[in-house]
Amino acid sequence: MLQIDSKYIEKALTANALEELYPLLQKAVELEHSTIPPYLTAMFSLKPGTNLVQRQIIHSIVIEEMLHMTIAANILNALGGKPAIDNSHFVPEYPGPLPMGIGNGLIVGLEKYSTDVVKNVFMEIEEPENPLVFKSVSLAALPTFSTIGQFYQAIQKKIDELAPHDLPGDKSKQVTSSFFPADELFPIYTKQNAIDAINIIIEQGEGTSTSPLDQEDELAHYYRFEELYKGKRLVKNDAAPNGYSFSGPDIPYTPEDVFPLFPNTKTSMLPAGGEELNRMNEFNTSYYSLLSGLHATFNGQPENLDNTVGVMYDLKLTAQKLCATPFPGKPGYTIGPSFEFIVPAGS
Amino acid sequence: MSYLHAPRLVFTGDFLSDVSTVNNDTAHYNNATFQPNFQEPGQGATNGWWNPEGGAVFDFQNCSVRQLFLPDGSTQTSQSEDIIIGQAVVGAEGRPTGKMVDLDPDAQMYSALWCVQLRICDAKGNLLFKGDINTTSFRDIQMRQTDGGKSNGQPLGATWTSVITNVEWGKVAEQSAFLKTLRATTQSNTLAINMNPFGYYYNHNDGRFSLGRIIGSIGPYFEGEPLTFAPARRLYGINYTPSARGTYFSTSNFLVEPDSKRVSVDFGSSFPVADSIGTISYKQDLRLAVSKVPQTGVASRQTPTFYISPNDFTEIGALDYQSDPNWLNQTGGIVSFNDLPDATISALDNNQLILVTPSTSLPGQYAIIAREAIDGLVARADNFILRLDYGQSVDVDFYTYQWGKPLANTGITATLQPPTPDTPVGPQNPISELYGNNFPVDGLSFNGQVSSNPQGKAQIRLTGNAIYSPRVYIDGQIYSIDYQTANTDPAFGPEQVVVHLRDYFEEIANPVWDDISEMMIQYSNLYPIMSKYVVNLADPLALAEKKNILIFAFSRGMNDTMHMPVTRDLSTAKRNTILNWLNNPQVAPKPVVRAEARETKAVNPVAPGTPLTDRQTRYREAVKAKNGSFPGFSASDDLFENL
Repeated sequence: MLQIDSKYIEKALTANALEELYPLLQKAVELEHSTIPPYLTAMFSLKPGTNLVQRQIIHSIVIEEMLHMTIAANILNALGGKPAIDNSHFVPEYPGPLPMGIGNGLIVGLEKYSTDVVKNVFMEIEEPENPLVFKSVSLAALPTFSTIGQFYQAIQKKIDELAPHDLPGDKSKQVTSSFFPADELFPIYTKQNAIDAINIIIEQGEGTSTSPLDQEDELAHYYRFEELYKGKRLVKNDAAPNGYSFSGPDIPYTPEDVFPLFPNTKTSMLPAGGEELNRMNEFNTSYYSLLSGLHATFNGQPENLDNTVGVMYDLKLTAQKLCATPFPGKPGYTIGPSFEFIVPAGS
Repeated sequence: MSYLHAPRLVFTGDFLSDVSTVNNDTAHYNNATFQPNFQEPGQGATNGWWNPEGGAVFDFQNCSVRQLFLPDGSTQTSQSEDIIIGQAVVGAEGRPTGKMVDLDPDAQMYSALWCVQLRICDAKGNLLFKGDINTTSFRDIQMRQTDGGKSNGQPLGATWTSVITNVEWGKVAEQSAFLKTLRATTQSNTLAINMNPFGYYYNHNDGRFSLGRIIGSIGPYFEGEPLTFAPARRLYGINYTPSARGTYFSTSNFLVEPDSKRVSVDFGSSFPVADSIGTISYKQDLRLAVSKVPQTGVASRQTPTFYISPNDFTEIGALDYQSDPNWLNQTGGIVSFNDLPDATISALDNNQLILVTPSTSLPGQYAIIAREAIDGLVARADNFILRLDYGQSVDVDFYTYQWGKPLANTGITATLQPPTPDTPVGPQNPISELYGNNFPVDGLSFNGQVSSNPQGKAQIRLTGNAIYSPRVYIDGQIYSIDYQTANTDPAFGPEQVVVHLRDYFEEIANPVWDDISEMMIQYSNLYPIMSKYVVNLADPLALAEKKNILIFAFSRGMNDTMHMPVTRDLSTAKRNTILNWLNNPQVAPKPVVRAEARETKAVNPVAPGTPLTDRQTRYREAVKAKNGSFPGFSASDDLFENL
């Protein structure tokens, strides 16, 4: 079971003032973001027009991670804090651990899509507190460990305990978007708004303790990844324990339609003076532009969110071209997007 | 005021232009004859040229402020003199990059920048200033590289002139004396900018694919001035270089400031360079002078060079560029001569500036490399690239100058170019019939005779009339309108106003897929980056699935940074029809047969094979050159040495 360094939960549970939750919510924003580069790298490695279900499932999860990041930032703003997104601490070093010691040594890298990565990394990241029994992984872990879900629950509990009915943050900083349903992304003005919003994060990520579905009747992330791992759709099955089984249609997968990304490609691996390096710099410039645009969005310019959507497309297109580009000096490999925090000259 | 006025800054660096190229071939617009290999890179009609997966991104790269020019005529080049020197010039942050797109496959020489932001920060990342460069299209395409562009594939350069609006000044701008002066001098919180791109890489060489060099300058703007060219005097090249099949120093702007006894000439757009990054290797003795006698020479293969006796000119000074191969990159190629004698300044009141070099074939004589426009006359249209729907009108602004001053009561004649013939399928045109331009001739209404007002301004109102698919598979028609004054200088020739008039189309309130499929399939064919990586535009189910993001992109204004670039080709009615479909995607076939507007398709009034005018022929050749498919420019090893 995926662990979180218990000190963060401890900090949440012992908080005496809303201000003490700021660093924890900042960590939450960082955590939600930190899963996106690994997921996107795997998705971008799928050759265009192939492995469509894999792409669709990862995409749907990435979109929800973006939603969770937005919710966490909205809660932080609602409590009166300031999300900090445009700095080097915000971006993890890949391969490496995720924020808050998630996973007790789980090392997350930026790699091409494979069922191994899905099982050993993505499902680990998203593993619920108590995976439902149709899941095939053994349940050897002990309940002394805490999950991301429990971390959010601790914050939720403290907000319930400490916050006034009307939250103190500047209401004009709340970010909403037409790209998300209003019942998933809503402005957080009150304590109850915050509590409801945290439930969305937990359930979309983990499902509930009795069902793999979240409030919107969609499979939680963990089970969506498990579908990819098993190559089968998880469907309702009244005869099965918990009412679901991996007895749905096959999910076709053609491993040869995955670009052979060099694992954890770094800018420094590319030869100086080459167009591959230019393309990578272009990618990281877009990534920086995106983070700085999101920083502005979450710090008083919520209308800028639309612009960042445009930057996401710039980033995506550059990344996908990189993935198709042979890696100079590394026969048999192509270039992965490095997601490095590099402040471009002039910024 | 203009980018040539003080105070001005010069920046140099690279630009990234990830333009898409499947649409460089008109025949690729025909859905019926489209083949998948047209999306593959490679030359020739049956492929997608050099960057089929381009995404239209334009951005500044490696650009920095190189030097400042101050009102007293002094130059600063060190950061110890002003904090802005050495700082990076960059594009937008937190919003998409700018985009670069052509008007139409039949109008490719006017590549335009859209939604480009320019920012300059100090070394700590604090904003000095930023602003938005107004949409502007290529002008003054000319020969730049004496090596023929061997490595990069494109030896030509061009010019973008514009204004920077929405200027936001950072707090630290107060620490730059230059910026304080600029801010105090300029008007309407708008700045003038000029950029000279060249050395663009079609080829995967030197690590510079899809990069080019760009040299820019930024100066003050004054209200009432043109937005896409400088209100400057102009030098035209009149020395024919066979390897370039034309002239070097083709067009250069210059400014005479009598009060400060100064002449400033911008060779940044024209100075011949040895390679793609602006290195200067030749060391010709080049001098600026004022001609005492009118110069009317025009370069041609038959008369490649015109000469002048030193008795017939007053020398201003020699260009001091030979000692530094990086001269152009450092100075931007703008040469200012200060404290000129009164006689020289007053001679420039009504005499032509010339660029000369000592002749070797006629000792004692000078060869004229470039001369000012005859009689110092310059007349240009400002908003010269237009998109027009049926029933819309637009006023084209003209500005006329003589010797740099507004010229009143000058007639301007605007004439629609004759229709160009259709080209049937044949050995030279293997894919699809190509349809001509400039017809039906009643597609545009305008009064072709106007006269400038006391401020030297004139307007011609163009109105778009209904046209019905004259190009069958490409929306609308391209109309080129030549305009000229009575004394147009043949060294430069008439310029054009170019209009993309969209087809008559009635918005469909409740469209089915058949109503928009042709448009969407065409986009899918022409922009593989979209279909490959974003959404298959030819697949209605895929579109319906992504409808939210598509509605988002299709509904943005044309000047919105999020606008989907290719939809600038569409009339409002067609764009709205696509939006209507996205809002209610109906995949089923249309129950009734659609009334085909094409029944009344305009017939090309000229027969296939009808010769083009000289200008039309030159345009066709220029397009080939632009696309890197010209048979080749050879190197000019001894430029101007044996004149």
